Amino acid sequence: MPVIDVVDLSKAFGTKVVLAKVNLQVEEGESLVVLGGSGSGKTVLLRTIMGLLTPDSGQVSIEGKIIAELNREELSNIRKSIGMCFQMAALFDSMTVFENVAFALRRHTKMTEAEVAARVDECLSMVGMKDTDKLKPAELSGGMKRRVGFARAIALKPKILLFDEPTTGLDPVMTDVIGRIILDLKQELGVTSITITHDLKSAFMIADRIALLFQGECLACETPEVFKVNPNPVIQQFLRGDAEGPFLQDPPAPKRKAKEASA
Amino acid sequence: MVLDFFDKVGTGVLKGVDTTGDFAVLAGRTFVAIFARPFDGKNLLRQFQAVGVNSLPVVLLTSLAVSMVFAVQLAFGFKQFQAEGLASQVEGLAVMRELAPVITGLMLAGRVGSAMAAELGTMQVTEQIDALECLATDPIHYLFVPRLLASMLMVPLLTLISVYIGFWGGYLILVGVEGQSAVVFSSEFYKLLAFRDLRIALYKALVFGMIIALVGCWKGYRTQGGAEGVGNAPTSSVVTSSLWILVSDFFLTKLLLV
Ligand SMILES: Nc1ncnc2c1ncn2[C@@H]1O[C@H](COP(=O)(O)OP(=O)(O)O)[C@@H](O)[C@H]1O
Ligand SMILES: [Mg+2]
Repeated sequence: MPVIDVVDLSKAFGTKVVLAKVNLQVEEGESLVVLGGSGSGKTVLLRTIMGLLTPDSGQVSIEGKIIAELNREELSNIRKSIGMCFQMAALFDSMTVFENVAFALRRHTKMTEAEVAARVDECLSMVGMKDTDKLKPAELSGGMKRRVGFARAIALKPKILLFDEPTTGLDPVMTDVIGRIILDLKQELGVTSITITHDLKSAFMIADRIALLFQGECLACETPEVFKVNPNPVIQQFLRGDAEGPFLQDPPAPKRKAKEASA
Repeated sequence: MVLDFFDKVGTGVLKGVDTTGDFAVLAGRTFVAIFARPFDGKNLLRQFQAVGVNSLPVVLLTSLAVSMVFAVQLAFGFKQFQAEGLASQVEGLAVMRELAPVITGLMLAGRVGSAMAAELGTMQVTEQIDALECLATDPIHYLFVPRLLASMLMVPLLTLISVYIGFWGGYLILVGVEGQSAVVFSSEFYKLLAFRDLRIALYKALVFGMIIALVGCWKGYRTQGGAEGVGNAPTSSVVTSSLWILVSDFFLTKLLLV
């Protein structure tokens, strides 16, 4: 039985259809990468899996439990086993880094303060952010915030990790660092994960399987090797990173091409 | 044309019902969540500080100013009938029953309710409230409850302080300026008051406290649309809660005075 099972999931905002019958299965210990252009509904997908949005039709089930049918308490129990890393980190800005990471530990475990401190230290060093525990989120750079967000998400030793664009807006070196952290987390914790990204390098680095979200549908969901040679023109265009092709409905006029031709 | 009009009215009514229902549901959930675990004492103390202690100066100053100006008006008014002696009795009545709870409520709606709306609104648009949910924490329990409890305790306490300051505001004018006897003023101030009046004042303050916290938190929680939304939340919270404070003051007075 897949750990995360998304069945015929549809979601629209007003008349705008964002997800149309998306199907995704993630097996235990597997790392799924979801690719997709900006605004293709990747964040909406993750938020629906987390139960922050309710699907219009279809369902998400985690470990066999249908998210939309749970009451608050059951949902809260499921969420304790999921770590969510937000696109903009979403750290609590009135708290220090330490308090952010310790938040779930203090609320959901009976750990003593010393044990909490030890666990926070462990989590922060796992993401290479030791010795920042006294800083406030406002004093951190974008990449540092993301990593503190990771530390906060793994504090309760979740079985599932969801990453929303962990590398977007970071320099190539930091992108690689984050990619490695995700790989390390996967190996050390053996978690099941869904990572959303449009960075191909880190996608191929961390993926067991890759899916592409396009116009509300899930185009492919297969191993990186197979994905690379998928004949679908949309996938090939996305892999090439080309403006020409079926990916955009109205691609911008090819200004440079014309210049090259005349030269 | 006519259909258009009904269409607009209908949409407006539906939206109003929707908003009221949403507020009622969240308010209900907040009261239920008061008893939920875990209890976060540190968080609650911080709210006591923010709502109560930090509001002291504002409440002191406004209570003093309002009670003084009211005493000036009373002294002037009763002088027309050569009944200056009544001024202190009426001052006491007005301060205890209306001025102290209403002034405290309105000032706290501006000072505390708006801060709640701004804080929760910022948390909402920066996804911090979603992050709370993802950390298996009910935002109603974590954010609404301590603010509600702090307001329900602190607004009545500040109202008591406001009554006390009101006494001295009246004293300053009626004894200090108008030259009434200090001893007479001190007994006359409480002459028309019964224990019931203290109870009325505290009931009002309790209700105002609920309005301030619930409206402030609700407006913040329902913020959408980035910086503009965060800008509107406090304004809208102050207007809404001030309105409800004044409206409920009327009904509470009618209800409790019979
Ligand atoms: N709360 C919302 N209300 C209305 N529209 C939304 C909401 N959330 C997302 N959308 C729309 O859904 C689409 C997908 O958004 P999103 O999932 O955030 O994209 P991305 O794939 O870049 O993460 C966007 O076009 C956005 O306008
Ligand atoms: Mg997104």
